[in-house]
Amino acid sequence: MRKSVAKYCTLLCGLLLTIALTSLSAAAQANSHDANELQGIEKQLNGLGDRIQRLQDLTDIEIVQDAYGYYVDKAQWHYLADLFAPDATLEIGGKGVFLGRARVFEYMHVGLGRLGPHDGSLIDHQQFQCLPTINPDGVSGAIRCIAFVMSSGGWGHNYYEDRFVKLNGVWQFRKLRGPFNMYSGYKVGWLDNTILNTTPEKWPPYPDLPPSVLYMTFPNYYVEPYHYPNPVTGKPMPTPSPRAGGLAFGR
Amino acid sequence: MAFSSKAASLALSLLLGLTLCTTALARDDAARLAALKSRVQSMDAETTYVEAITQIQTLGRAFGYYTDKGYFGEAADLFTDDGSFQWGVDGVYKGKAHIRELLTRHGGGSMTDGPGLPFGRLNLRMQLQPVVTVAADGNSAHARWREWGLLGEYKKYATWGDAIIEDDYVKDNDVWKIATRRYFLNFEAPYQGGWASLKPVSGNWQSDVAKSFPADAPAPVQYQPFPAVFVPPYDYADGTLRAIRSRAPFDAPKRPDDALGKLEALADAKELQLARAHSVRAIENLQAMYGYYIDKGQWRQAASLFSRDGTYEFGQSGVYVGKAHVERALSLMGPPGLEAGQLNNYVMAQPIINISDDNRTAKARWRSDVELARDGKGRWGGGVYENEYVNDKGTWKFSKLHYYVTFWGDYDLGWQAKPYPMDPPSTTIAPDRPPTLVYQSFPKLHIVPFHYNNPVSGKPTPGEQE
Repeated sequence: MRKSVAKYCTLLCGLLLTIALTSLSAAAQANSHDANELQGIEKQLNGLGDRIQRLQDLTDIEIVQDAYGYYVDKAQWHYLADLFAPDATLEIGGKGVFLGRARVFEYMHVGLGRLGPHDGSLIDHQQFQCLPTINPDGVSGAIRCIAFVMSSGGWGHNYYEDRFVKLNGVWQFRKLRGPFNMYSGYKVGWLDNTILNTTPEKWPPYPDLPPSVLYMTFPNYYVEPYHYPNPVTGKPMPTPSPRAGGLAFGR
Repeated sequence: MAFSSKAASLALSLLLGLTLCTTALARDDAARLAALKSRVQSMDAETTYVEAITQIQTLGRAFGYYTDKGYFGEAADLFTDDGSFQWGVDGVYKGKAHIRELLTRHGGGSMTDGPGLPFGRLNLRMQLQPVVTVAADGNSAHARWREWGLLGEYKKYATWGDAIIEDDYVKDNDVWKIATRRYFLNFEAPYQGGWASLKPVSGNWQSDVAKSFPADAPAPVQYQPFPAVFVPPYDYADGTLRAIRSRAPFDAPKRPDDALGKLEALADAKELQLARAHSVRAIENLQAMYGYYIDKGQWRQAASLFSRDGTYEFGQSGVYVGKAHVERALSLMGPPGLEAGQLNNYVMAQPIINISDDNRTAKARWRSDVELARDGKGRWGGGVYENEYVNDKGTWKFSKLHYYVTFWGDYDLGWQAKPYPMDPPSTTIAPDRPPTLVYQSFPKLHIVPFHYNNPVSGKPTPGEQE
């Protein structure tokens, strides 16, 4: 009897051991199968992470541009200059190119006015319609924005076509270009406009390099190249008609 | 033998336990794996959704930059082949070729000379304040935009343009395109006298362009422009409010310290990052949506975008607490739906949105320009919002809306020659609390406190002098 119980036990043990080993090896098999699968999932997650990071990057460079606008409003030139990489460049209107953060500060402080807001002098520098893009390298990008100016002097409309660089994980200006479109006084607006552009020599500071393009603002025609291709056709921007800006255009 | 019997039963129970345990573990792992896979799938869909909003914003803004400079062929290329453009009450123009000609004729370009504008032509059409809603299937979308135009011809005429745009988009071969555009022109007002000088129109007010270049089909909606008050239908009035939703706040559980657990934790981190990127778009939509309600005197709808104890403060109005008080405070601007001849345009632009690390709250700075008219008098305004938001189970709401007035100015004379002071707190609809900050508007200037540090240096920017 005892013998048969022991035998029965041995048999059962053997059976269970077999099941256990089988399920263990099945689990091990599943694990090795999983290992490949887990790697796949990790890859997917990191791929998603890259796309999510691009979304964040687009917001981040627009924040730098928009912060710039709010600092101009109140002539907070120190804080404004801090938005630029140390070797960044600035070119606004027809005044030429300024090299480096210190010269950015000088352009603003010497050229545009004393630090801080001054009662009676409005210089609201609103940022509209910003279109940011990030390059495939993930550390460089660009933005096209409109600056719509409501100031003590009247109206202003210019574009920004700026380049950004991500240094130590922080997006900042690498190159700021602000081509003027239309500046006018308040009384009759753009009906009769006389402010055709700024020039390098009329008031200090003087630029490090001459203007990269010579153009005149409204009523003349100038288009600052778009940094992005047509979002639907993918084709780069065609050059404007050689007749654009002339009285004979379209006639 | 007794010993061996005991040993045998011990071995038996151990083995039984091991067997049950390994099979249960395998089952549990399989369930965790399946759950993780489905999470990755839904994150992929959500990422595509947020990308779609971004791509549609790009489409609308690219359109503006093209029309500004007479690139009307490029602008028409943003439409589907059978796309359509309904211009005011002029009618519906169909197909890229007709859309191109429509834009060219309105903008002063040339159908033969290539991109550009003639000397002296101004066609600045700023595309602002998008509310983008992507359909659940991810293949179609809607958006509402505001167009603010600076139009004219040198020494001949100068006008302000104001329009609401309602767009339908489709995703075609992985590229978003404009399928249908409904352009609800509100006014083209002469610079001299501005919108407040406009007289009610009677009868047919089709444009000169429509007379020489008729539309392919009549406009399905007939309406009167300003000074009548017309509310272009909202595409997002479907009650789903998807535009202002992102992910509800969540606490990631502590994950087991195994290979699968590490991936689960990675997914948790990416999911939070995605939720925050999604929330940025939801808050952009929320602020824009609020602006469109304010435009048309829809105080109740505007107040519905606040959290239960949300607060509202406008200039020196003092603070109103809770939806009911917010609605009453808004009604200080005019009767619900506005009165004829009243313009109440609040443009929303220049967002600096910062979402909290846990995606539960957010802060944002916005710019708002204001175009007003009442009783035949026009007015300019400008200012800055510093707002706070709360993620209420996945729907973003205002917990604090605070508009700081920079200036009010007379239309005819301008803000420099004739600035207006801010209104003091109302005595008829008194606020719950006095103003949080006492200041004066232009010609006085004050720096609106920044909720954020300098985005590059990380240094705080003082609200007052440097």
